[in-house]
Amino acid sequence: MIAQIGLSILLLGVLFYAWTEYSRAPAIGLVSMVVAGAGLYFVWLPSHATWLASLVGIGRGVDLILYVWVIISLMVMLNLHLKLRSQMELITALTREIAIANARPASAATTL
Amino acid sequence: MPGEPDTPIWLIIPAYNEAAVIGRVVADVVKRGYNVAVIDDGSIDETGCRASVAGAIVVTHPINLGQGAALQTGIQFALRQGADTVVTFDADGQHRVADIDSLIGALATNNADFALGSRFLGGAVAMPLSRRILLMAATWFTRLTTGLNVSDTHNGLRAMTRRGASRIKLRQNRMAHASELLDEIARSGLRYVEVPVTIEYSRYSLAKGQRLTDSLRILVDLSAQRLHR
Repeated sequence: MIAQIGLSILLLGVLFYAWTEYSRAPAIGLVSMVVAGAGLYFVWLPSHATWLASLVGIGRGVDLILYVWVIISLMVMLNLHLKLRSQMELITALTREIAIANARPASAATTL
Repeated sequence: MPGEPDTPIWLIIPAYNEAAVIGRVVADVVKRGYNVAVIDDGSIDETGCRASVAGAIVVTHPINLGQGAALQTGIQFALRQGADTVVTFDADGQHRVADIDSLIGALATNNADFALGSRFLGGAVAMPLSRRILLMAATWFTRLTTGLNVSDTHNGLRAMTRRGASRIKLRQNRMAHASELLDEIARSGLRYVEVPVTIEYSRYSLAKGQRLTDSLRILVDLSAQRLHR
């Protein structure tokens, strides 16, 4: 029971995070929400997980949940990567303005 | 800032550590009377200095961002200078100055907003087979993703009208910008035309060129961009 509560809190956290990310990266937000939702369901109904696991060729329900967790982790990593890209776009915009504001004319030797 | 531009045609040349050739390249185009802006992409050599001495305005990125970012900086700079026509030109000396007029002429003749240089319609001097195969694959990929029927997708020699240039907003800082630019042309719905140009490969330009590993990175960059806004 303690493990179930702990995992549920973590998964609810992921669900909330995915929801807040939805407006910025809809694809990742949606997939993360679905995966976290599925995780929550199976934490409380492990027998269903075992049934589904055997259906897709995985031995135990707990293994299936583990795989789901790995997928969530990968999603979070991908999302971080995309966030870094967004940061880079801001840095680029800033650098561009600095560069244009400081444009320097051709040397006098050639313009005279 | 320098005096007012005497013609509304602006050549933008992105350059990163091109001190060995940039002076000659800039001097050649300045002689033709174009306004030239070299976008020094955070070079650690004398690129900016030599471009300036050769007669170019130099816009310097304080940090290295990549060719795509430098091109976008150049386009924005030229537009703010009141450019009617923006021409992009490589810094490594593999483009012919004579082709610039053909591109600009093609814009007017075809009532187009973009004139794209094509080495496969024109010529490529001393192009190695591996480079040809890589470029063909890139062209095939870009045709598939943009729907544009172009023959040479990674040619740095292009001309665009002010209207066309205003529609270009490159977000790919590195080499994926060539595909992105074509994507933006397709989305703008504006008219484009391909113009035969000649690319002269040299040992120097080949050493600076792209490799197979770069094309894999381009694919990753293009895919990542589609995942977020």
